[in-house]
This record gives sequence, structure tokens and C-alpha cells, in this order.
Amino acid sequence: MTTVVEPAVALDRIAKDYGSVPAVKGVSLTVARGEIYGLLGPNGAGKTTALRIVAGLLAPSRGRCAVAGIDVAQEPLQAKARIGFMSLSTGLYARLTAREFLAYFGRLHGMPPNLVERRTGELASALGLGRLLDRLCETFSTGEKQRVSLARTVLHDPLVLVLDEPTSGLDVLASRFLRDFVRSERARGKAVLFSTHYLAEAELLCDRVGLLFQGSLIREGTPVALRADAGASSLEEAFLTFVGAATP
Amino acid sequence: MTSHVAVTAAKELRETLRDRRTLAVMVLLPLVVYPMMALLTTQVVATRELKREARPVEVAVSGQGPVADDLRRRIGEQPKVFRLNEQGQAADVHRGRLDALVVVHASEPHRRSVDVVYDAARDESRRAAERLDELLARALPAECLPIDVSKKNLASKDDIGGHLLSKVLPIAVVLMVLLGAFYPAIDVTAGERERGTLETVLSAPIGRFDLLLGKVLAVTAVASLTGLVNLGSISVTLIHAARLAASQVLLPVPWSRAAAAAIAVVPAAFLFAALFVAIGSIARGFKEAQNLLMPVYFLCVAPALIGAVGDYPLSGAAAWVPVMNVTLLVRDMVLGHATVSAALASVASTLLYGGLALALAARIYDSERLLHPEAAPRGADDDAGQGPVLDAPPTAGHALLMFAAGFVLLYFVFVPWQHRSLVVGLLASQWLGMVGLTVLLARATGRPLVAMVALRPPPARSLVGAALVGATAWGAVALLTDWLVPVPKEVVEQLRRAFVSDQHGRGLFVNLLLVALTPAVCEEMFFRGVVLRGLATRLPPLGAAVLTGVLFGLYHLDVWRLLPSTTLGVLLSLLALRSGSLVPAMVAHFLNNAVLVILATAKLDERFSNLGSGLTVAIFSTSIVLTTLGLWLVRRSAPQGGL
Repeated sequence: MTTVVEPAVALDRIAKDYGSVPAVKGVSLTVARGEIYGLLGPNGAGKTTALRIVAGLLAPSRGRCAVAGIDVAQEPLQAKARIGFMSLSTGLYARLTAREFLAYFGRLHGMPPNLVERRTGELASALGLGRLLDRLCETFSTGEKQRVSLARTVLHDPLVLVLDEPTSGLDVLASRFLRDFVRSERARGKAVLFSTHYLAEAELLCDRVGLLFQGSLIREGTPVALRADAGASSLEEAFLTFVGAATP
Repeated sequence: MTSHVAVTAAKELRETLRDRRTLAVMVLLPLVVYPMMALLTTQVVATRELKREARPVEVAVSGQGPVADDLRRRIGEQPKVFRLNEQGQAADVHRGRLDALVVVHASEPHRRSVDVVYDAARDESRRAAERLDELLARALPAECLPIDVSKKNLASKDDIGGHLLSKVLPIAVVLMVLLGAFYPAIDVTAGERERGTLETVLSAPIGRFDLLLGKVLAVTAVASLTGLVNLGSISVTLIHAARLAASQVLLPVPWSRAAAAAIAVVPAAFLFAALFVAIGSIARGFKEAQNLLMPVYFLCVAPALIGAVGDYPLSGAAAWVPVMNVTLLVRDMVLGHATVSAALASVASTLLYGGLALALAARIYDSERLLHPEAAPRGADDDAGQGPVLDAPPTAGHALLMFAAGFVLLYFVFVPWQHRSLVVGLLASQWLGMVGLTVLLARATGRPLVAMVALRPPPARSLVGAALVGATAWGAVALLTDWLVPVPKEVVEQLRRAFVSDQHGRGLFVNLLLVALTPAVCEEMFFRGVVLRGLATRLPPLGAAVLTGVLFGLYHLDVWRLLPSTTLGVLLSLLALRSGSLVPAMVAHFLNNAVLVILATAKLDERFSNLGSGLTVAIFSTSIVLTTLGLWLVRRSAPQGGL
């Protein structure tokens, strides 16, 4: 007897219109547990809209989005409890310390104070936050903000991580640190869905990627397979080939 | 170097003048909000003051003999100034049953003396003592001995301290609580959006209402603290100032009364917090929130001011008037006059209004397009830099700009014109002020006029519904007004003289053209066609309808017609929104005004306030049922897409 493993994230023909302007057009994809899925595309391709739908911040105009089998539009609070979402802006409260910031989100996720304290300690070690915990967030550098934001994203140990351009604005070292952390989360069985327009980074990190262009998913597969399909030597080259073919 | 300064100044000025929101605050506050506030407040206070001056004071004379008899006779000769009570004691003055008592002492051979007993902590009693002073000082016949008058004040030092505080504390507390809520409310709403933390917190498993309630409670706490600190500080400052001004008067700070006044602070803070958070939620940034909240701040000050200077009793409808009831409660608390029922009504209604504002805020927070501006429909954003949009509604910015321009023209041009010539001024305000501005907007933005104001054929059933609303809503509106804010008779008479009197030689037909048809066309094009359609691009339909109704009410520049005009404005807005056309609102507006003109011409409206309770309930219920039926019919016929 075989067991069907439910995907951690499942988008089924989701579409989103802003007024009469379609931002996402019937995108379907799945992300399995222990998989990193990169959503790639140029600015305005619909990446952020798609991720916001997964995070329960936007309701799809059509289609269905499920996280761990839970319909995000129907049961947003239950779905959100299983998601760690990191937006493009780090979204830290400037006048709170990192510890207070984490405690606030821990409580919003229904974590008891001692668990919040324990997880804060664990993440401080894993992400190198030791010196930052009792400083006001407004005093942090971009990299420090990103690390605290990442700690907030995984504080409640969610099944799914949704990261919207997480390495945007980071230097080489910070980007590498973040990629290593994401890999370690994959190793713990987490599903990671993230967007980026750094194609080289996607090639390094992702198990599979989806190419989003003008709201449509024009290609999907492993970086190696996509390169082979396009007969290209890099993902960037493959991307340009596919986009060229999709442009009317 | 000088050229660098000039170039920089020119660039900064250009940027500033292109920021329409800054310009709006710079120009519209002094031109729209201040005149509106001053006008409404003055109307109420002037009417109240006239009534107060005209009211005779309650006095009694105690004692026997020719002096007492002479005084009674002279008091009795001035029924418009005094109402003479047969009997009275000092305790009656203290309890407020009498305003003043004249105690005539037994005459001595070379001396006659009286005491004027009054309560210095009551304005009415002070006025009575002044009027008696004048009466007693008036020349007596030469053969008579002068009267020694001594004044006996019954008020305790606490009472006088309370009276002193009652003059300043009510308005000061409201202003401080408003200020205390202002910036925190912006910070937790627009500030959060601007800093990028809103998206983060909304990704957590927290209900939007819970999130909002948490924000409102935090703002309430800050505003309450501001109010309480100011309440204490102003109390001490005032009493010390009184000591400095008259060093012989050693007034204690009436702490127990100041503390009792604190009961009004927390509900008021909750109301302002919820209101400001609701409005702050609409704004896309800190600056926009400031610009949106500033007029609201001033509109909240207006009823507070009326309460502070209007000398209204805290009872009946006054206990339910938002913000005004807060000032009245603070006043009565420091005076030591507040009754439990009035205090409860005031506190409960303030909390209720706060709850309604909170519900509105929650609705706005639920609105995806406000959380994600890119989700806003076409026409929601300023269309600078874009080409003309055919068949598109005006933007929210256009709506507010048009209202402001219309108001400025009305206040500074057409009202003075109406004072010189009512009919010509009225027609000019309608056709030039409203239709003219609407046409100008269409021209300036390249929109076809008819499409811009949604002047399109409606479904037949919606016309039936609109006719029902127009022909029947006036009953409920009139009775509701009569119950909540009864219009003074002299104001009603003035209106009748102006609009339906046949002394001007105008017949019913001309009056209908002037008072029913013209507003139905002009006001609907302007308010439902431009203001409502524009606001509806940024607000939920109900919010847009309510705000348009309020602006419509304010535009009438008459505090006594504010409630009926606002209610009618909301109903007409709902008709337009639900039918997707301007025509049903025009039909309903015409019928509503026509019925009122006919009633007033036949002088049937005078009987309205004298109806028996059975008939009142019957008219009210019938009106509500038929109006609801009308709205339902319009809704049933509504096309997809709305206005």
C-alpha cells in the first residue's frame, strides 16, 4: 500500500486581478516537504502577488491555494500558523528590541512565554543574534535586520517558509549565510517557496524553479532540466530564451 | 552661492506646491473647515444665548411690610425679566429651584436693608442677582430711604472652584484627549504601513479585528493618560490663577470633582482613538493620514465647543450627541450637578459611537485594496501623468477638491449673493456653483460629463423604488429630527418665509421649480455624481455613502438642518450606488423636496410636532417600511458593477 504525501504548498490555477488588470493568470504549482522552490521572474511578473496569496495576505480572484491541505482563503488563521512569511521589507518594529519583537510574534502564534524564550535562544545561536537581542531594531544594519526577520519567520517552527526576495540588498557574506540557513531548514523537512530575480542564486539553492512572466508560469523544473531544455549554459540564459519565446 | 539658494528654494517650492495634500491643508482648512465650524457653532450658541437672555429668572421675596410689597409689585411688573414665586427659601436657591431670593429685613427708623441670596456657582443665579441689583438700584421716590443691599452667596468654595473649572476644563479636556489620540493613531496605522511592518503582522495568525482592537486600546490608553494629566494640571493651574487674580479668594482645588470628571476621559479617548484609527487606516502614509485627520479633528472640536459654551443641560438628546455630551458631562461633574442617568447615557453613547467607529475601521482593514494600493480599482489614484480616462468616475481627490471648491464658492460668493437676492443667489449657487464646477471638472480631466456623473438610464424598477423613498422618507427623517434636534420655531418660520411664502408672489409651481427640481438636478450631479462616485473609489460603498451624506449635510450651512440633510444625503447616495445611475437619486430628491414644499405651503408641517403619539408612531413606521421597500426594490434592480 502506498501513502500519498500531501504537498506542503499547492496552488491550483490561481489568478489575481487588480481591477481589470490581471497580475497572476492561472498559476499551478506544488512544493513538497523538504524542497526549495524558487519563483523567478522579472519585476512585475507577479511573484510577490503569488507569494502574498500563499501567505494569506491576498485572496485569489480565482483558483485555490492550500498549505498542508488547508485552504488559505477559507481558513486563513490555521494556514498562517503553518507559514513563516518574510516580506521584501524586513518589517521590524524600530522601537522594540529584537527580543521584544520576537516575543510579540511568538505570542501572536500562541506560543507560551517559556517556549518563546527557548526558541529565541536557539535562533540566537543559529543566526548569530546574541549581541542583537537586547538592542532596538532601529539600530541594526541591513544584514542584521534580515537575520532578525528570518528569526521571526521561523520562530514558530512553521512547515512552510515563504520568502519574498530574501537576499535583496544583502552583501555576499550575508546572502551566503541566508542560503545556508535555508538549506538547513530544508534538511529539517521544511518546504521553502521563495522569489528572486538573482538567477545565479536560484541555481545554487533551488531544487526546482518556476519561471513567471507576465503573470503566467511559462516553465517549471529543476535548474539542470531547464538549462537542458533551452540548450543554455546558465539559468539566466535559459530564462532569456524562454521569455523571448513567450513574448508575443 | 546666491543662485544656489534661489535654485534650491525654487525647486523646494515647486515640489511643495505640487503636493496637493499639503496645499489642501494649507488652503482648505482656513477656507472650508474654519468657516464651517464657526458657522455651525455660532448658530447653535446664538440661538441658545437668545433663549437664555429672553428667559425670565425665578425669584422670590421673603419678608413682610411695605418694602417687600413694593419689591413684589415691581418684580411682578417685569414678567419678561422675572418670574415671581410666591414663596421661597435659601435652600431653594441652593437646590436650583429658585435663581435668587430677596430677604427683606424689618425696617429700622433710618435704615432699610435686604439680602440678595444667590448661588455664585450657577450662571442663572448670577444673572438673577445682577437683575435684582439693577432693580434695587433704580431710583426710589425721594421721600424713601435708600435700601442697603447685601449679597449672600450660598456657594461653597468647592462649588465656586467647580464653577471656575467648568468654564475651561470641558473643552480643554476634549482638546487634549483629541491631541493625545491624534499622533499615536497615525503611528499605529499609516505609520505601520509606511514602515513596512503591516504586511509582517498580517501574515501572523491574528484576526484583523483583534489587531485593530489592540491598536485602538493602545491609542485609548495614551489619549486617556494625556486627558487625565491635563485634567489635573489645568485644575491646579486655574485655581492658582484665580488665587493670583484675586488674592483674597483662597479657593481649594476641588480634587474630588476633577477626579469625578475623569469618568468622561476614557470613553472619549476610546471614541477618538477608534475614529482616528479608522481614518488613519485609509491613509497610505503618515503625511496623508495627517491631512485626512486634521479636518476630522476640527469637526470633533465643533460639537465640543457647542457643549462648552452653549449652556445645554445634559439630558435627553443632548446626552447622545457625540463629543458634545463629553464636554457636558465634564462640566456637570465639576459642577457637582451630574445625574447618574445622564452620566450613564453620555458614557454609554460615547462608547457606542467608539464601537461603531471601530467596526468601520475593521471593515476598512478587511478591505484588500486599502492594504494593497495596487489592488485599487481604476480611478482610485490621482491620474496625474496619465491620459484622460473615458467613462471613468472622478477620483477621491477630485471629490474632495470639488466639495472644497463648492463650499468656498457657496460661503464666500453665493451666500452673500443670496442675502442680496435670494432667488438669483440660490439659482447661481446651484447652476454655477454645482453644475458649473462639475462641467469644469469633466472638461479639465477629459471625461465625458454624462458618463462621469453616471447619468445613465436606470432599470425601471429602481425608479419605482426611488419614488417610494422620495415620497416617504421625509416622515421618518422629520420625526427623527424633531425627536433628536428639534428645530427652533423661529428657524422654521424663517425657512418657510424664504422658500414657500406667497408674499414674494411666487406660486407653488415656481417654488417647486426652485426648491425641488433645481436641487434635484444640480445637487445630485455634484454630490452623487462627483463626490460620491469619487469617494467610492477609495471607500467601501457604505462608508462613501455616509461621508457623502455628511458633506451634503454640512453644505447646507445650517446646523438645524444638518441631521435631516445628512440622512437624506445618505439615502440618496445609497439609491445612486445601488441603482448604478444618478437618475433614481434625482427622482427621490425631487419628490422629497416637493412633498416638503407642498406640506409647508399648506402649513401642514406645523402640526407635525403636535401629533399624538399613536399617529406619530404610525407615520414613522409607515415611512420606515416604505423607504426600506424602496431601497430593496432599487437593490433588486441593481445592475452588476454599481455606480
